[in-house]
Amino acid sequence: MSRRLRLLGVSAIVAGVAGAAIPATASAVPVITMSGSTSVAPLASLLAKGYLKQYPGRVKFKLAQGGSDVGVADVAAGRVSIGNSSRDAKSSDPGGLVFNKIAKDAICIVTNPNNKLPNLSQSQIQAIFSGQVRNWSDIPGATATGSINLIVRTAASGTQDAFQKIFMGSSNVFSGASAKASNGLVQSTVKSDPNAIGYVSQDFVPGTHAVSYQGVGCTLATAKSGEYGGVRNFWMVTRGHPRPASPLQKFIHWAQVSSRAQKIVATHWVPLK
Amino acid sequence: MLDRLREPWSDRRAERTLGALACLVLIAIVLMIVFVAVRAWPSFHHNGLAWFSGRGDIDQQIGVQVNTGANPTRADYTIGAWPLIWGTILTTGFAVVIGVAFSVLTAIFIVEFAPGPLRRLIVPVVRLLAAVPSVIYGLIGILVLVPFVTNHLVGEGRKESVQYVINLSGTGLLVSVVILTVMITPIMIAIIVDALYAVPRGWKEGAVALGVNRWRAMWTVSVRAARPAIIAGAVLACARALGEAIMLSMVSGSKGFAPNPADGITFIFEPLRPLASTIVEDAESLNAPAVQATVYSFALLLLASSFFLSIAAWIAKQSMRKYGVR
Amino acid sequence: MAVAPHTEPLKPLRPPRKRRVNESVRTWRWSDRIALVLCWATGIALCLIAGAIVLYMGVKGLQFLKLDMIFSRPQASADQQGSGGFLDPILGTVLLTLIGIVLATPVAVATAIWIVEYGRPSWLARGVESGIEIVAGTPDIVIAIFGLALFQQGLFSPLSFTAEGGAVFGRSFLTAGAMMSLIALPMVFGATREGLQAVPMHLREASYGLGKTKIATIRRVLLPAVKPNISTGAALGMGRIAGDTAIVVVLLGATLRIDPEGSIPGTNVLRGTGGTLTSYVYNNSPAGEGNAEQKAYAAAFVLLLIVIALNFAVDLIARRGAKTGLESTRLGA
Repeated sequence: MSRRLRLLGVSAIVAGVAGAAIPATASAVPVITMSGSTSVAPLASLLAKGYLKQYPGRVKFKLAQGGSDVGVADVAAGRVSIGNSSRDAKSSDPGGLVFNKIAKDAICIVTNPNNKLPNLSQSQIQAIFSGQVRNWSDIPGATATGSINLIVRTAASGTQDAFQKIFMGSSNVFSGASAKASNGLVQSTVKSDPNAIGYVSQDFVPGTHAVSYQGVGCTLATAKSGEYGGVRNFWMVTRGHPRPASPLQKFIHWAQVSSRAQKIVATHWVPLK
Repeated sequence: MLDRLREPWSDRRAERTLGALACLVLIAIVLMIVFVAVRAWPSFHHNGLAWFSGRGDIDQQIGVQVNTGANPTRADYTIGAWPLIWGTILTTGFAVVIGVAFSVLTAIFIVEFAPGPLRRLIVPVVRLLAAVPSVIYGLIGILVLVPFVTNHLVGEGRKESVQYVINLSGTGLLVSVVILTVMITPIMIAIIVDALYAVPRGWKEGAVALGVNRWRAMWTVSVRAARPAIIAGAVLACARALGEAIMLSMVSGSKGFAPNPADGITFIFEPLRPLASTIVEDAESLNAPAVQATVYSFALLLLASSFFLSIAAWIAKQSMRKYGVR
Repeated sequence: MAVAPHTEPLKPLRPPRKRRVNESVRTWRWSDRIALVLCWATGIALCLIAGAIVLYMGVKGLQFLKLDMIFSRPQASADQQGSGGFLDPILGTVLLTLIGIVLATPVAVATAIWIVEYGRPSWLARGVESGIEIVAGTPDIVIAIFGLALFQQGLFSPLSFTAEGGAVFGRSFLTAGAMMSLIALPMVFGATREGLQAVPMHLREASYGLGKTKIATIRRVLLPAVKPNISTGAALGMGRIAGDTAIVVVLLGATLRIDPEGSIPGTNVLRGTGGTLTSYVYNNSPAGEGNAEQKAYAAAFVLLLIVIALNFAVDLIARRGAKTGLESTRLGA
């Protein structure tokens, strides 16, 4: 066979394989893709694992992260099937989105372990975090002395959004407060600074002292029973309502009502029921 | 046809192929610059030159932009980036100045004064430091340096002196500059040592033969001859410092605050946030048009500054070209 | 009678003993003495800092590292403290570094050769050089967001996967590797260019004198001579890629395990998402949400070991190359 013909044959085979490759990605098993909040991601991966244990081989999951806003934008653009969000729906979100609540999470006010503050009321919290009260000696029950170091979250955080809505109401957080980019950074700062006060998701309390809010301690039990007031929602956002009997709808329905899912959520978060 | 590829190519074909590859690189880079500029335009268009000034609390401005989400109004594009620019200038400037001094001295030490075994030890050490990932520097920063500064260096009196304006904790200018200097120094050392070794031996031996001592011979002959390399190293280090985002977002304080030199020593403890760290922290909300314009305008400023850096280095090297050292 | 002067049989001459002429520092001026002290101080300080970093990471890492962590895959869980290891991030780091450097090196070497050996028209050469310097100075996060926006266009869908909504996901090993090659490019280019400029002209002229064409000279004479430089540049590039976090988090999906996409072995991993050690360390450090400092230390220790091993290997290559390459000194030769 002539050299040119051989070359044509080789390139035809390569093109054939490449052409077959791309349609072959439509796998037999439907794929549910998720992206979004880093706080919801551990819960989402546990739910995915539990779902596959109960119904093996039914779907495949792909879980990416990036933040609540990335999740919402991805699902609105059609890049993923589910967007995980730790903040509530905003009026500025793209239209046509449905927020499905899957769990709740408590936000705790924390101080350094050497500064065991027993209780704070909402007005006290507002006074502290807006900068009106600046010294620990003005707070009854505080064992620390000196100026109060405020630790808050940065602007794009879902936790900060929830804190503002639930605890601060209409007062604004003091603009000179130290802003941290994640729960872990707030936790490590509060752990090492005796004069610090901040707020974290309930999971990040170990190593710090959680302050009771309006007389109720911040624990998983009180959050589940509904006594603790500072609770925010975790959502799985979809584009429109999922079609009935589609794998997506079955998963979300399972996550919201099945007992196994509730048991998974109850390990570290507050289940819906 | 495969056999024809294996024959030695003619010079013209080789030149064209290599040139095409180089053009491909250039096209990719131009594409990136154009892309960033197009997306940054709305922010500059709305703010004009006031973009560079300090127009109030930048954190609040960005917060407003994040909250308006997909439908911003014209007024939401307002941004005054001066606190971030000043933070970037401070960290990069200090780190490069201290780093150049440190690197030149260490390079001279390696080339001239180090005894044999120590030299064989230091050279891999420099390579190692250059390769340590920035996440590890950030980890050591927030777990070791920041608590140390918080608990031992920032006293109560200092905190109270600036209490009404800003909260002092360990994260801030001092830790950022220290870690950034350690990060960029190995790169400069490697380049300067290579250049010092490449200086012809005869030059230095001539100086020593004239009775000059070893230090002076190095300084007046070798280091002078290696000046283009020092500039190249400084430019590379400056670019690396400008672009460092993850490590600085961990240790620099995450506040869009412009540290005030008039505060005296307290100034080095004040938190700040360089431009690249701001991009990292706001990359999450990139889909909101106002945030997108703001973030891409920061990116464009960083690109422009590295462009001006390379021009400045080229001008500096041009003036040294007449000494015959490349 | 004249007596010949009594001479002993000449002993064989010993070669003169090399004595270092230690000029006493006491003859130096004060400013020179201070400079000497400073040089020593900075040299020792550098060793101490490096030693402190390695020791600290070593102590903390060994404290938390268990051997099964390296070989077991990450488990999904509420926080990473109790569960699983980081085999997938290790594989992800290795794979991403390989892809990045394989894409970057040929292009960088070819560009360096073109600029040094040809370089016509000169405005184009200056433009390419400036462009590469600009890329060297770009923050990796800017390259990451550019890459995400670029690879989410429909044109690039074979590189990642297409969701059922019709939009391209844009995040995979290939896309992250492509952007990683962009950040490794300036390192390899710079090192190669320095090496080529250091090759003396007479080597090239000898080759032309023997009748070889320019491209043959490049292939047979210059490239082997700058191999140590290419290795140095590749080492710096690989170090930069292995240490990069921003591009991984944005362009690789930062999933805990390597998730292949599609059914062809080989390309399915390339098109899939995953994580690397850097994103794993970042997520588990206080700056992320994994809440597991011990895992972060252990993974950081492993990452440091990988980087040290990389450096060691490349150092060996460079040293072997320097013996067969040019006489001009290399760092460590």
